[in-house]
Amino acid sequence: MGELHEFYTLYAETLDDIRLEAWIDYFVEDCVFQIIAKENYEQGFALCFMQADSKGMIKDRVQGIVRTQIFGPRTYRRFFSGLRIVAVESAEIVVRQNVMLVQTLMDQTSQILLCGVAHDRLIRQDGRLLFKRRIVVADSELIENSLIYPL
Amino acid sequence: MTEILQHQWPADGEVFTPYWAYTDDDIYRRELERIWYGAHWLYCGLAVEVPEVGSYRTLTLGERPVIMARYGEDDAEISVVENSCAHRGTKLCWDRTGKVEGLTCPYHQWNYQLTGELVGVPFRRGIRGEGGMPKDFKPGDHNLNRLKVEVVNGVVWASFSPDLPSFRDYVGEKLFGYYERIFNGRKLRVIGYNRQRINGNWKLMLENNKDPYHAALLHVFFATFGLFRPDQASQLEMDETGRHACLMSIYKPDAVNDVAGSLAGLDDTLKLADPRIIQALKELSGDETVSATTIFPSIILLQQVNSMQARQIVPKGPGAFDFMWTHFGFEDDDVEMQERRVRQANLFGPSGFVSADDAEVVRMAQEGFVEQASLGKAMMLMGGRDVASSTTMATETALRGMYRYYRTVMGL
Repeated sequence: MGELHEFYTLYAETLDDIRLEAWIDYFVEDCVFQIIAKENYEQGFALCFMQADSKGMIKDRVQGIVRTQIFGPRTYRRFFSGLRIVAVESAEIVVRQNVMLVQTLMDQTSQILLCGVAHDRLIRQDGRLLFKRRIVVADSELIENSLIYPL
Repeated sequence: MTEILQHQWPADGEVFTPYWAYTDDDIYRRELERIWYGAHWLYCGLAVEVPEVGSYRTLTLGERPVIMARYGEDDAEISVVENSCAHRGTKLCWDRTGKVEGLTCPYHQWNYQLTGELVGVPFRRGIRGEGGMPKDFKPGDHNLNRLKVEVVNGVVWASFSPDLPSFRDYVGEKLFGYYERIFNGRKLRVIGYNRQRINGNWKLMLENNKDPYHAALLHVFFATFGLFRPDQASQLEMDETGRHACLMSIYKPDAVNDVAGSLAGLDDTLKLADPRIIQALKELSGDETVSATTIFPSIILLQQVNSMQARQIVPKGPGAFDFMWTHFGFEDDDVEMQERRVRQANLFGPSGFVSADDAEVVRMAQEGFVEQASLGKAMMLMGGRDVASSTTMATETALRGMYRYYRTVMGL
């Protein structure tokens, strides 16, 4: 459990500090990454806000954010809580936790941009924990303007 | 209703929009009255979203909550009623979707048919001879407000006004052809919903999709990966009024690009690690790889590569609107096509490689619209002064078209 707490603390820090190249290293090659609205997840619709089904798409998400997208200055800070190991299935650790993303746009007050629950599957590769699957189910179906960085 | 409007549209008005058109509360109120609740067709949803008799979805048209419900097997048997009890105005349907035999208000249990007729009033005759409604109370005079509805090739349209042309006439033959290109009779399939609150005036989003000029300049992703370049073949058509438009372009991967070199910020060494996001499989008629159809005032119908979306505008005052995306495909999509559409959806929505740019620039436009700002007005002079079809992206003719219509309907 301690190892998992440390893992998620470092994961949040990596994203909070906008070290996006390092964020790519958290995923296996054939990973699944989704930030998906609760209504879609619960009704079986596959549409996401952000989606990747390969590590290549994770790299392209970083490239999009860093090299091609245009957006006003902002800070995101992530808060994870309620971390629990749901199951251990052969090599996979199945994890659930609450997630919250606070956004502060330049010249604006801070606000909760996204709140939800993450359903993750972690595996160990070369001694390191990695995401095989991370699905963030957002209670926040209505996103204020834009969701630029991942969770 | 006569009002003395404090604002005067600027001189040279065919090529300018005043900032107050985007910020003023009185203008917004007039827009609700004359546009949203006037003789215009508004997008409600897809017939497949209410698949069974009794299925319903709640949504907002303009600022008014409504219930779209299927009351019969045929797609023509879909009704739209205002979600407001005839008793005391309470919203009677609280869920986003479901299936019911009738509509019952939770407060006093007034009961309506799906089509809005009032059929039950508890204690109408009183309790043990006391109380109850007056003897001359006629339930038929207290139905839910029912909107005029047309279901056209699987898409549900509604209007608060009973006096308007058929949807086909409203859109005009030219634009209806582009509509039919996507809604061609094939049964649709919802892929999912994304919702966004954009902090800008609702008209800015229509402008954004009538504006080919920005597409290759703002959207570095487009220009970098060749999905939309200023030297591509493009076509911009409007209906007779200028209020609706269809903007199309053709992406040719091997085309010689002699214009993109002048785009600031373009780095053509960038490559996609997973290029499936831009790989389209041809499925529609014609060579167009992107088409953006704006049907004034409420909807943008967008097709790009294999992603298709209905983007519904729900105004929230002059400074914001909710943008409701319904992504759809066809019922007979194979698993590979379904996955392709989901993957390509990364271009769109609040996190979209392309669309997030639009939300940000619309927000920043609104922040710049201070009425007393030095200019006080927004220019649309690209391509000249006329309102006409165009085959260049260096044009703002469709903005001029929309505002020519806007000024007429608004009395400005």
